[in-house]
Amino acid sequence: MSNRINQLQQLVKDSDGLHINSELLDYSGVVEYYPEELVMTAKAGTTISEIQTELAKHNQALPFFVKTLNMSIGSVYAQGAQDLSDCVLGVQIIDGTGELLNFGGQVMKNVAGYDVARLLVGSKGKLAIITQISFKVMPQTYIGKIDKPSFSIIDKPSFSIRQKIERRLKQVFDPKGVFN
Amino acid sequence: MLVIKQLLTQLPKNIILTGEENTRPFECDGLSVYRQKPLAVVLPENIVQIKQVLKICKANNTPVVTRGAGTGLAGGAMPLENSVVLGLSKLNQVKSIDVENRLAVVEPGVRNIAISEAVAQYGLYYAPDPSSQIACTIGGNVAENSGGVHCLKYGLTVHNVKAIKMLTIDGDELILSRQDDGLGLLALMNGSEGLLGIITEITVKLTPTPALARVVMAGFDSVRDCANAVADIVKAGVIPAGLEMMDSFAIEAAEGFAQVGYPLDAKALLLCELDGTHAQVQVELNQVLKILSNASTLKVSNNEQERLDLWQGRKSAFPAVGRLSPDYYCMDGTIPRRHLADMLEKINALSQKYQLRVANVFHAGDGNLHPLILYDANKTSELEKVEEFGTEILRLSVDMGGTITGEHGVGVEKLNAMCHQFNAKELAIFHKIKAVFDPKSLLNPGKAVPELHRCAELGSMHVHHGKLPHPELERF
Repeated sequence: MSNRINQLQQLVKDSDGLHINSELLDYSGVVEYYPEELVMTAKAGTTISEIQTELAKHNQALPFFVKTLNMSIGSVYAQGAQDLSDCVLGVQIIDGTGELLNFGGQVMKNVAGYDVARLLVGSKGKLAIITQISFKVMPQTYIGKIDKPSFSIIDKPSFSIRQKIERRLKQVFDPKGVFN
Repeated sequence: MLVIKQLLTQLPKNIILTGEENTRPFECDGLSVYRQKPLAVVLPENIVQIKQVLKICKANNTPVVTRGAGTGLAGGAMPLENSVVLGLSKLNQVKSIDVENRLAVVEPGVRNIAISEAVAQYGLYYAPDPSSQIACTIGGNVAENSGGVHCLKYGLTVHNVKAIKMLTIDGDELILSRQDDGLGLLALMNGSEGLLGIITEITVKLTPTPALARVVMAGFDSVRDCANAVADIVKAGVIPAGLEMMDSFAIEAAEGFAQVGYPLDAKALLLCELDGTHAQVQVELNQVLKILSNASTLKVSNNEQERLDLWQGRKSAFPAVGRLSPDYYCMDGTIPRRHLADMLEKINALSQKYQLRVANVFHAGDGNLHPLILYDANKTSELEKVEEFGTEILRLSVDMGGTITGEHGVGVEKLNAMCHQFNAKELAIFHKIKAVFDPKSLLNPGKAVPELHRCAELGSMHVHHGKLPHPELERF
């Protein structure tokens, strides 16, 4: 296991409050990329431009919207959008107790266990540190126009139940309330 | 029993089935080796009735097992002891179709193929096509995140569901949509196997029917050449609508059953479907034919009938194998495509070891394997041997960086295998997620996620992404 991961785990264990961002994470680079699998695994601090450069060598690209190229894949994931969620296959995370956990994987079809890798899309750094992400990529020729994702207003009765569920899910991943 | 009495007094009697005889048809799903009769089966006709069932079951601490068509292959809809089965097959209306935005709003009991039939007149269809699509329901598809032959290009159920309405165990309605800001609750519900809520309405994405589809059939002298061709097609930048592989035993079985002209001397067969506009299909066809130039047999469908004929063999592979053996057991592991040839060799070695025949049918495009292990349930302890064999295949899948189930779900069948894919801390997170939605664990309890003590008793060695814990230790 990498030193940086051990340090981050220790940091979470020792901390009362952490704000997660790419600087804090300081963990980047493409971990695994097989063009014939259409899958890339990257550390969360890897910038989109670094990823795009690697993919372009094999005429592949990211099939989801990204605002700017200097963003990290981790922050795109944390901010969340449906087209990105569609491409997520697996994540490695450090939860609020400092445990390193893996959910999902590197294959397109995978229904073992709840889909935590997609649940945490849009979690905005409040539930866990996302350390590594596996996602689907596509040949450039298959990627059409990518629209900026839009969000809809959630109807009221659903919204209050949803808030309650989201609060409880935060407790599942971050029982001590470390991430703020 | 009080719960039955309350159901009978508070709901119309004609929607409730009780007693040995009436509940027997519901004692299992598509995985018929596991059976259990429920206390009662309720077949509600509307949402109000579902809420009433939940209220009564909650008050009596009675587990609820939600069921669609019961075609699942992992025991997800198998009743539990002293449970009530909530069958949603009567909620079978397509509520609205929005042609312009390519959406349909449907009730959970609508059959998968019925959606495509309802929208065919607009040049649209619903893309995910599990092999049980003539019978299986869309609600069950969401609960299992079902796949099919066309996932590589068109995605799984989770990619084709725009929104759902669901009921929590408390009877609260929750609307989840792809556009929601916040956690990915809609994705979480996909594949949650009836453990988190009751899905009462689904808005699905519709796909334009392609102008043309053609299928290429290629026979190979070696499994490895066939597996390499799969990787080469994807590497070349072609995403086929379907990319299926069969081994020699499966070819023989399918040809014997369907007589569609599969090459009986081939060691492996590839079916590659290309769809889109005429121009797109032609460009991709040229690319694919170039890659497949080392195939021993090559055939391209020239019209729709030929295309359907070439698929007929593959689609009848399961019943064809069923004809050769009293019973067969279908596995569902998924592996990274690059390991396909290695996996086939290992499965063949295991087949020798256990002295059980295997027919291999793969969704090669997405690395999803369906080895069919042939056996005879009437022979003492043969099923045990099959399960041991199957477990070895699933362990191999995880060790190669894949998963124990690509599209069939965990249900009751793969609870032990889950111990191999996830460690105790990850499994504990799953249990806590369930508790968020269902604190008293009344919705399909005990399915999909193994209890921690079960894994401890198995003494399962947890492996992640091919890395053994403590690699410095010798193992025998």
